[in-house]
Amino acid sequence: MLRLGIKSLLAHKVRFALTASTIVIGVAFVVASFVTADSLRSGFDQLAEDINTGTDYTVRGELPFGEITEATAPAVPAELVDDIAAVDGVEIAKGGLFVDGVIPVDGNGEAVTTFGPPVAGTNWLEDESLSQFYLMEGRWPVGGGEFAIDITTFEDDGYDFELGGTYQIVTPTGPREFTLTGAAQFGFPENAGVGAIFSLFDTATAQEVLGFPGEFTVISVRAEAGADIAELQTRIEAVLPDGVEVITAADSEEEFSDATETFIGPFQTILLVFAFIVLFVSMFIISNTFNIVLGQRVRELSLLRAVGATPQQVRRSVLTESAIIGIVASVAGLGLGMLGALGIKSLFNALGASLPEGSLPLTLRTVLWAVAVGVGFTVLASLVPAIKASRISPVAGLSEGTTSEERASLGWKRLVSGGVLLVVGLVLTGLGLFGDFDGATPQLSTLGAGAAITFVAVSVLSPLVARSVVSLLARPLQWIMPISGRLARANAARNPRRTSATAVALTIGLALVTMVSIVGQSLKVSFGDRLASAVNADFIVSVNTQAGLPKTLSSDIRAAGIGTPVGFDFDLVQIDSSGADVQATVVQSTLTAASVSDLDAVVDIGVTEGTLDGFDPQTGLLIHSNVAGDEGLALGDEVDLTFVSGDRRTVTVTAIFDGSAFWSNWIIDSALYEQVATTAFDDIVLVRSDIDDPEAARAAIDEVMTGYPQAVLEDRQEFQESVESSLNTVLVLVNVFLGFALLIALIGIVSTLTLSVFERIREIGLLRAVGMTRRQMRRMIRWEAAAVSLYGAVVGVVLGGAFGMATVAAIPDDIIDTVSIPAAQLVLFLVISVAFGLIAALFPAFRASRMNVLDAIADE
Amino acid sequence: MSVAAPPTHAAARAVAATKIYGSGDTAVRALDAIDVTFEQGQFTAIMGPSGSGKSTLMHCMAGLDRVTEGQVLIGETDLSTLSERDLTLLRRDNVGFVFQAFNLVPTLTAIENIMLPMDLAGTAGDSDWVDEVVGATGLADRLKHRPSELSGGQQQRVAVARALAGKPQVIFADEPTGNVDLNTGAEILGFMRNAVDEMGQTIVMVTHDAVSASYADRVVFLVDGQIVDELADPTPERIRAHMNQLGA
Repeated sequence: MLRLGIKSLLAHKVRFALTASTIVIGVAFVVASFVTADSLRSGFDQLAEDINTGTDYTVRGELPFGEITEATAPAVPAELVDDIAAVDGVEIAKGGLFVDGVIPVDGNGEAVTTFGPPVAGTNWLEDESLSQFYLMEGRWPVGGGEFAIDITTFEDDGYDFELGGTYQIVTPTGPREFTLTGAAQFGFPENAGVGAIFSLFDTATAQEVLGFPGEFTVISVRAEAGADIAELQTRIEAVLPDGVEVITAADSEEEFSDATETFIGPFQTILLVFAFIVLFVSMFIISNTFNIVLGQRVRELSLLRAVGATPQQVRRSVLTESAIIGIVASVAGLGLGMLGALGIKSLFNALGASLPEGSLPLTLRTVLWAVAVGVGFTVLASLVPAIKASRISPVAGLSEGTTSEERASLGWKRLVSGGVLLVVGLVLTGLGLFGDFDGATPQLSTLGAGAAITFVAVSVLSPLVARSVVSLLARPLQWIMPISGRLARANAARNPRRTSATAVALTIGLALVTMVSIVGQSLKVSFGDRLASAVNADFIVSVNTQAGLPKTLSSDIRAAGIGTPVGFDFDLVQIDSSGADVQATVVQSTLTAASVSDLDAVVDIGVTEGTLDGFDPQTGLLIHSNVAGDEGLALGDEVDLTFVSGDRRTVTVTAIFDGSAFWSNWIIDSALYEQVATTAFDDIVLVRSDIDDPEAARAAIDEVMTGYPQAVLEDRQEFQESVESSLNTVLVLVNVFLGFALLIALIGIVSTLTLSVFERIREIGLLRAVGMTRRQMRRMIRWEAAAVSLYGAVVGVVLGGAFGMATVAAIPDDIIDTVSIPAAQLVLFLVISVAFGLIAALFPAFRASRMNVLDAIADE
Repeated sequence: MSVAAPPTHAAARAVAATKIYGSGDTAVRALDAIDVTFEQGQFTAIMGPSGSGKSTLMHCMAGLDRVTEGQVLIGETDLSTLSERDLTLLRRDNVGFVFQAFNLVPTLTAIENIMLPMDLAGTAGDSDWVDEVVGATGLADRLKHRPSELSGGQQQRVAVARALAGKPQVIFADEPTGNVDLNTGAEILGFMRNAVDEMGQTIVMVTHDAVSASYADRVVFLVDGQIVDELADPTPERIRAHMNQLGA
């Protein structure tokens, strides 16, 4: 039976290759996601180890709550360095500063920024081994007028930096001029800098320009040789004041690795989700291919049965065949996946993330997953066809002709089983969208399972309507092309089950694309509406880097007499409202700090209770009506806020608002926040201009902004466009991945059509004999494919539309409050699908048109 | 070219038509310099034992296959000068076909099958003529049915009607009764005979059955790719006698 399986495969190489290719792509996705993630992990682990070499402990301010990745810990006093150095067993202790948002400007006046990683200022440590930096070029900077830059930026051809040159650096204390003396490498020389950009100063200069006089953000400590690490940690702890912690090098490595995992993990998960989508779609293609091929092999299989093969042996031969396909596809997928991982890494690096050097680790786990997924999905897909094949009677071949025009069982059984699946799928989908879950994983799993079952249900139900719907959709064909069109339409509708199975791959791909585009469009429209109705500002100043804009920008704009600028700073806060309500718990949330007295000038937050008049900057709090309800808060209630600096303040609810806006549910005044903040940055600055002429206003702000080259000035229209364009980038990325599902669908159409053409060889011969030209033949087959594609696409768009609207409904109103259907885009999807079908049919149509007429009609 | 002006009454003819399959030692002469003329308005049967080349002759005469040497003419058109595309158009416009089985496109109705060559040409055809042909099939009430809803005999009658509908120069039929019972066969042959007598059509039929061949005006006997004998106004008995003679 094994030999039979292999023989059968070798006899049908093209079919085998097409079937396998769909699985190859799926497996490649799985492999690429594992390998890329593993490579990133090992690279970052190596980096963490390198930068901690020579450092045994790190002393730093303790966050009262939250993770070090979410917030900036408070600084520690400089005197602590001496206290620690004096601890018995400590060889050396050095204070360091690490402040994000320190932006160098190159020789061309261009600000050096990133799309995410820090652009930081730091001090170099006199101790080589304690330092995380290694001097590569020039010398270390000394005194207030010098700086060094990280080697990656120094060597980047996109920037113009030369040793000895004088450059502006925008620091939290304002823009200043420095002379470049050297270039240093973060971590070991062979490590890249993970995309971060560093400006290095000597310690005194760093403290002054970074805004931490007499303070450090971190103290690095090395123990004397032979010291007991745990015991010494306790003794260091003893000299530390409250709110300062000491962690070992091992702890900080783990912390670093946890921090990197916060983006590697989701990245891997997202790739695996796409891998699953691709494999899921492939299953339909494989199942369909096996069904058709086994249908064509009825004679052979019944002969096997007649000469004594048991049903089990027939079944096993089919499953063996699919297992071999699975194994071959897994191996090919491993190779393709490695290439994919290489591609993803170069893509990241091209985008500016200089990822750590590292091989592409192919672990045993990855290989096992690849094989399990490849073989598993293929065998699973061939299970139903295998069972059907085993039921072929020994005399079936005697009565039946060469072709088996499958008649779909279009009865009650299909309707009931499909209906039940549909209900289960929709209920799970609804539950996933609207239900309460502990965390994203169970929610997304429920949603995914619901969607998958819905798609299976659609594929079960589809044959019931395929004939009539395809006939309807393809009707225009016979008006345009009388005979080819009529035949194309009839062929597309003649075998509802095959049409459905072919179309379902496209249905799934297009449903997902449609859903994404509806959610995206609704998000854009909701955002635009909110911008139009709630924002009064004329200009928006934002920044690409995470650190934000120096607070001085606001005051400079105000000083220039342009109008009213309001800076918004978002930070983590812990809120204890138990004073007001015993039921209430301590919650952690995002807090907005802004100048409340100027708020009206730039935004309309929609105050529903209380008033902003007479707001006390030191004790006032504005809350959104949502949290007022959730936390049981009313006007006049007192709330305890704990900031990441460890400071606590009691504030009073003075107004409740319900405007759905870009800020958080909790707003305090920036005057209060300045006293407790660990950083001095605004995340965004809105400006209400007093200058009537927009061009003049812009010019005036531009003038102020020359000191802040990292800032981006946009009017409302431009701001909306740039938000939309970054959203579009995400949508395009998602669609590129979903494009792989569509590619699988394309392969499916090619494969099914090739088999159908082979099956209809006599009909094709007849048509050619009675005078159908090759061109008419190709046209007939192309448009058959187009009709099948259009059917799949229409079902997909309808299904995706429903999913999309449900998703929009499930997303809270303060994010999306308007459903918007991108009709033109959906029509475009349908047109593209038709084009898809036409392209998929090129090869089968060519084959059919080249078929020898005599061979075709002589085929017995 | 040394071809004499073609006689106007020839619907199709072969001049020294030779068909060789393979090459070298394995070459097989399926047709060996055959000269044959099929007159307009005549019903000709081609007979011969298996492997005699009768199907090859038909395929070559009908433009489904090409001769290796010699000429085949439909009306006054020399098929060897035609491109693949022109050959297809010639089949569509000037030749009718009836095969042993699988004559009809399963997705088209009976009338759509009948109109197929004209639809492929994008012409309406001669509607009076089509009505006459359809009337002669006796299937007026079944025209909207698909082939799977028709009996074997009805399917073959639709196939003959399809061959007739375009008023071709000549109709080639390959064992048109091979797949039906005797009564149905007689019905189909009667229909074909009628098409020649009443409608003035030209039919060339390949068969191995003496009774079928007896419906023809003339029987041509083929052995080893050569025409060995001819018989006018045949009866089954005379045909069998000839066949026995040839076989001996």
